[in-house]
Amino acid sequence: MAAAALNLVDLRKSFGKTEIIRGVSLSVARGERHAIIGPNGAGKSTLFNLISGRFGSTSGRIELNGEDITGRRPFEINRKGLSRSFQITNIFPRMSVYENVRCATLYALGYRYSCWHRLAKLADAAGRAEDVLHRIGLRSRRDTPAGTLTYAEQRALEIGITIAGGAEVILLDEPTAGMSRSESDRAVELIRRVTEGRTLVMVEHDMSVVFGLADRISVLVYGEIIATDTPSGIRGNRAVQEAYLGTTAAEP
Amino acid sequence: MEFFVISLLNGISYGLLLFMLASGLTLIFSMMGVLNFAHASFYMIGAYVAYQISTWLDELLPGTGYWIALVVAPLVVGVLGALVERYGLRRVHKWGHVPELLFTFGLSYIIVELVQIIWGRAAVPYRVPPELDGSLFTVYATHFPAYRGFMMLVAALMLLAIWLMFTRTRIGLVIQAALAHPDTVEALGHNVPRVFMLTFGGGTALAGLAGVIGGNAYVTEPSMAALVGSIIFVVVVVGGMGSLGGAFIASLLIGLMQTFAIGIDWAPIALLQSLGFEIVPATPLYSLWSLKLSQVAPVLPYLLLVLILVLRPKGLMGTREG
Amino acid sequence: METTIRFAPIDVGRWFVWGATALLFAVLPLVFSSGFAITLLSQMGIMVIFALSYNMIFGQGGMLSFGHAVYSGLGAFFAIHALNWIGSGQLWLPVSLVPLVPLVGGVFGAVFGVVFGYVTTKKAGTPFAMITLGIGEMVFSASLMFPAFFGGEGGISSNRVVGEPFLGITFGPGLQVYYLIAAWCFACMVAMFAFTHTPLGRIANAVRDNPERAEFIGYNPQRVRFFVLVVSAFFAGIAGGLSAINFEIVTAENVSAIRSGGVLLATFIGGTMFFFGPILGAVVFVFFAVALSDYTKAWQFYLGVFFVAMVMFAPGGVASLILTNLRVMKHRLFGRLRDPYAGVLLSGLVLLAGVVMVVEMSYHLTLNFAAGSRMRLFGFEVDSAAPGIWLLALGVLAAGALGFEVMRRRFAREWGAVQAEIEERSRREAGV
Repeated sequence: MAAAALNLVDLRKSFGKTEIIRGVSLSVARGERHAIIGPNGAGKSTLFNLISGRFGSTSGRIELNGEDITGRRPFEINRKGLSRSFQITNIFPRMSVYENVRCATLYALGYRYSCWHRLAKLADAAGRAEDVLHRIGLRSRRDTPAGTLTYAEQRALEIGITIAGGAEVILLDEPTAGMSRSESDRAVELIRRVTEGRTLVMVEHDMSVVFGLADRISVLVYGEIIATDTPSGIRGNRAVQEAYLGTTAAEP
Repeated sequence: MEFFVISLLNGISYGLLLFMLASGLTLIFSMMGVLNFAHASFYMIGAYVAYQISTWLDELLPGTGYWIALVVAPLVVGVLGALVERYGLRRVHKWGHVPELLFTFGLSYIIVELVQIIWGRAAVPYRVPPELDGSLFTVYATHFPAYRGFMMLVAALMLLAIWLMFTRTRIGLVIQAALAHPDTVEALGHNVPRVFMLTFGGGTALAGLAGVIGGNAYVTEPSMAALVGSIIFVVVVVGGMGSLGGAFIASLLIGLMQTFAIGIDWAPIALLQSLGFEIVPATPLYSLWSLKLSQVAPVLPYLLLVLILVLRPKGLMGTREG
Repeated sequence: METTIRFAPIDVGRWFVWGATALLFAVLPLVFSSGFAITLLSQMGIMVIFALSYNMIFGQGGMLSFGHAVYSGLGAFFAIHALNWIGSGQLWLPVSLVPLVPLVGGVFGAVFGVVFGYVTTKKAGTPFAMITLGIGEMVFSASLMFPAFFGGEGGISSNRVVGEPFLGITFGPGLQVYYLIAAWCFACMVAMFAFTHTPLGRIANAVRDNPERAEFIGYNPQRVRFFVLVVSAFFAGIAGGLSAINFEIVTAENVSAIRSGGVLLATFIGGTMFFFGPILGAVVFVFFAVALSDYTKAWQFYLGVFFVAMVMFAPGGVASLILTNLRVMKHRLFGRLRDPYAGVLLSGLVLLAGVVMVVEMSYHLTLNFAAGSRMRLFGFEVDSAAPGIWLLALGVLAAGALGFEVMRRRFAREWGAVQAEIEERSRREAGV
């Protein structure tokens, strides 16, 4: 059996004396779309930060395609095929939209620290950047400085930067945060398109997004996963309903 | 032995002077996030203003000049600092730390030129007052100047006052809070811009005080800012940016290191020759082996900087990454 | 920043711009042909390379360094030793090797870029700036300790007229040195411009903007900064090598904090956000340092004030001033600014006159008093000790300051309105 795309084994993280992540074990299969939901303060963003290398874990193991990536630096993890987006938009504000996306393709295409290739002549980088721009619907804003985009456009760019490198495992941290209903729907379509054939792990609050996209859902409460199941399974799960105090879990 | 004791005392007094400067710098950096490149320039202004005040007043009321200057000069410098913050730094603050650093850098340039315009390029005769100009005690045959002892006393008192202010008064608490969460503090009704202005003025006043007591112990001339300026930045980085305790240790360390080194004429050539090697001017790298420690003294703080960066980049007691 | 800087690619063929630049370099000394002008142009050429190299780490890489002269200065020392070595006749070649000497400077600049860069790029931002200051002081102090290599207080001198003359070129006359510098300057400009269009150059921009995000797209920000620094140190070394040839002497001053501060000033004044900014800045700086210094001893003061004024009011430098005004003109809104500009310029001139009067008289009193208190001010003979002239000077200063502040506020209001108008139009055009 092929190794899971992402495997967390008894992951723990403490900040000082407070344990935020208390032994999370999770296995995400190749090509699966997995959502992580939970009440505020459950530790969802912290979990993402642990997986992507932004924070170091206190104990436990993280495996990417069977390889141990615990304690590695973010760029090392990214080079192994994991890419993440940020809840608070984290782009390159002074560069144009096109440049933002193109930069994200360079290392993956092998150009690394080259100062002898002419950027304009790199057809593969240009092609991939154009493709991503088209997919995230920002072709018309190609040359605008990224810092001047609207919020929803920046969220789309955020996703674009995340996928441009061609990573196999994509982590999206609240991709639709702050969006209106129609913007969210468009974002869901975008996410569905761009993660075709890849592994997606997503943190979300918006239940319609979650139930529309996910193959499986994990519920994180106080740093522990209390349930992992298909969407319908989660819907009916008593413990999950209790955790949400009967508010959002029951909504369609 | 005599050399050791005298150098120890001199090193401590120099280190305490460095700390007076480094502490003001650290306070401003911690509170406002801006590294005041012109900090040593305010030190210089303090010395010159003290010189001017004491010269004027000694004509009117002989003997009082220095003591009045001791109080007035730091205030003058503090007011200048507050004005600089209010009308200069504040405008640049919204653009981030690099423009702020550039502003203070340009300021240091201008201050040096202004000092030369007003007082000329030669050193000014800023003297130790006769009451303090004597020997405090003698160690074997060498006198330890009373003035050095006075410097150490003032420095110690200043530090005590700062510590008390921060830990015991309301203002100190507000400043500590404004450091970490300026928006919250402002929402609570405190005037954060005014706190910044007071902080900058306070920090520069400390530098001015250091200038008052240091200017006549050492030379008061236009290059005094540059000489001590880069050293205090080394102190701050070695001690760990944002850490008063680290700055204290680093100041003493560097003060002692330089004072001892300047007095030692030993060179590696002595060691090599005692091991049996023949070292003559024709030997390769002779100029390296014959370097006396006293010649190398100016470079030592920077070597320490490089060492710390390689071994312990956060500094001795660093908390903030900067 | 009050205004949003947008990318406004000037649609002129690339070949035309570079060709015109090359032509300009070739023709300038024919227009400004006095000996003084040629030396001025030569120094500008060297400074242009130095400032462009500095902007690689500062404007493009986001690293503020107070010790960049270390690389150019050490490059200069190695270059001048190479020049002496050639001159000593130990290497016999039919062609004069002098044109290649700057390359020696560049190589050793890069070597020290590796050595010091390894230590300095461990940190970023403000700590990096302080560390570069420390390293700069260290090298300066060390240079006075090894007189065999650094020549002690007197430095190392040389003679650039060495080797066999090639086609009659000896590099003795200033004009020949100018063309050597111009050729290197052009080559370096092309190379550094090309660098900005390479993966490393572009990723350096990304690391500048958001080093954390750069990590998450696969780049080690520290590595990126290190490589950029080494490349920058290479070009700084070339500038140093040319300096060695031009002045035929290299001293500890070449690695001093003053030199490092100078290139920082020049680059910032020119503008760090556009490639041609440092070129403008280098020209302005050399003008201040070489030409203005002949007229007044207070030139450093004026330069400092100019620099601080730019930090406070125009942090994008002269380049951004030019471009933003061009943008206003493109939108045909410049008419609204004509009066405010006139007001600011007029009151600014009055203020400047007042400042100059006060400064020059003060300088004269404190520095030249032995010569008596009479001096020349704006072509008039004045007695700098007389209270009358001081009252006049202070009056002019006060009037200028008041007027300037009033005019400046009016200008700022009008400028803001114009910028908002432009934003609005752009937004409408983009259909947002």
